[in-house]
Amino acid sequence: MSIYKLHYFNFRGRGELARLVFAAAGQTFEDIRYERNEWPSNKSKMPLGQMPVLEFNGTQLPQSITVARFLAKQFQLAGKDNLEQAKVDAVVDTIADLIVKYSPARWEPDETKKKELLKKFFAEDLDKHLQDLDVLRKLYGDGGPFFVGNHLTLADLYFYNTGQNLLQMDENSLNNYPWLKQNREEVEKQPKIAEYIKNRPDMPY
Amino acid sequence: MPSYKLTYFNGRGRAEISRLIFAAAGQKYEDIRIEREQWPALKPKTPLGQMPVLEVDGVELPQSAAIARFLAKQFHLAGKDNLEQAEVDAVIDTISDINTAWPASSSDEALKKKFLTEDLAKHLQNLETLGKLYGKGGHFFVGNQLTWADLRFYTFGQTCIEAAPDCLNNFSWLEQNRAEVEKQPKIAEYLKNRPKTSF
Repeated sequence: MSIYKLHYFNFRGRGELARLVFAAAGQTFEDIRYERNEWPSNKSKMPLGQMPVLEFNGTQLPQSITVARFLAKQFQLAGKDNLEQAKVDAVVDTIADLIVKYSPARWEPDETKKKELLKKFFAEDLDKHLQDLDVLRKLYGDGGPFFVGNHLTLADLYFYNTGQNLLQMDENSLNNYPWLKQNREEVEKQPKIAEYIKNRPDMPY
Repeated sequence: MPSYKLTYFNGRGRAEISRLIFAAAGQKYEDIRIEREQWPALKPKTPLGQMPVLEVDGVELPQSAAIARFLAKQFHLAGKDNLEQAEVDAVIDTISDINTAWPASSSDEALKKKFLTEDLAKHLQNLETLGKLYGKGGHFFVGNQLTWADLRFYTFGQTCIEAAPDCLNNFSWLEQNRAEVEKQPKIAEYLKNRPKTSF
């Protein structure tokens, strides 16, 4: 019976970052996965009618990044002091800005319109966002392969997950940023992460 | 003793939460306000070409929420332990969702009207839900004491009211929360003296 219960759908989506934090920490948790048809009857149990929700010590926490940051702090993956945590948060927010930018294209239901939106995103928008991440790793990374302070943090896990989405949409999307590619490789060769990735359900998103 | 320099436009916008945190903490800082004409020359000198930027101990931090959370933690306004800090963050993220959902000024009038008359209330309801879940029966969002969640709602609430003066009429808990914030002596002093700006 774990003290941590994560409620989310049976796909990666907004729940995967928390799952990656648990994996990196080697922490067991109840990974409660809902199929879409189970959601309507469970929606009202969640504080904001949304998931993911983390249950910890009788408290329910909504909001995916809040959950991931809470877990990262529990397991010393958030940055070693307040200033490092702020650097991690700055990277996390910059990754979130990238996700906000590609999401309309990614989720566009009309196939023709989706192709146009994706083309525009990759041609006009992606570069600035990746450049921003590159700037921050140069500022905060102490010359190492991780975004902040020469060790794995939430920032690397979030970029790992987001990079997967980018590469799924365009396999060449990171070609101009070798450090970012290398950063993802560093994450996926961490033994606990490698194990988790090998065993997790294979979902399209 | 760290020194703090906050750089932003001459307006409330994305920096006011940090200014409120400094005020609540009684902490001095350099409050650099950039006029629009000065911005193009300054922009390439900022890490991401955006503001606000906080300079502390020789480190430059972009991203308004990251800055505010750092300051709140420095001055014990972030929640007393990791779980309380997460409850505060959940409120912050929920306010951020409202900003994301708020139609841009360039949107058509029908969309803006629908948001103000229908959608905004649902978002405000979510905030009241969290205040009642985490507030331990008090007037503050989390744990019966002032945190940056209250300060953030204070500044957000001003924006709401300026757009729709009656938006909090059905949300007495939220109204009371704002009243509690503005009667904190250091906040009252700050609100009285801060520059009056259009945003």
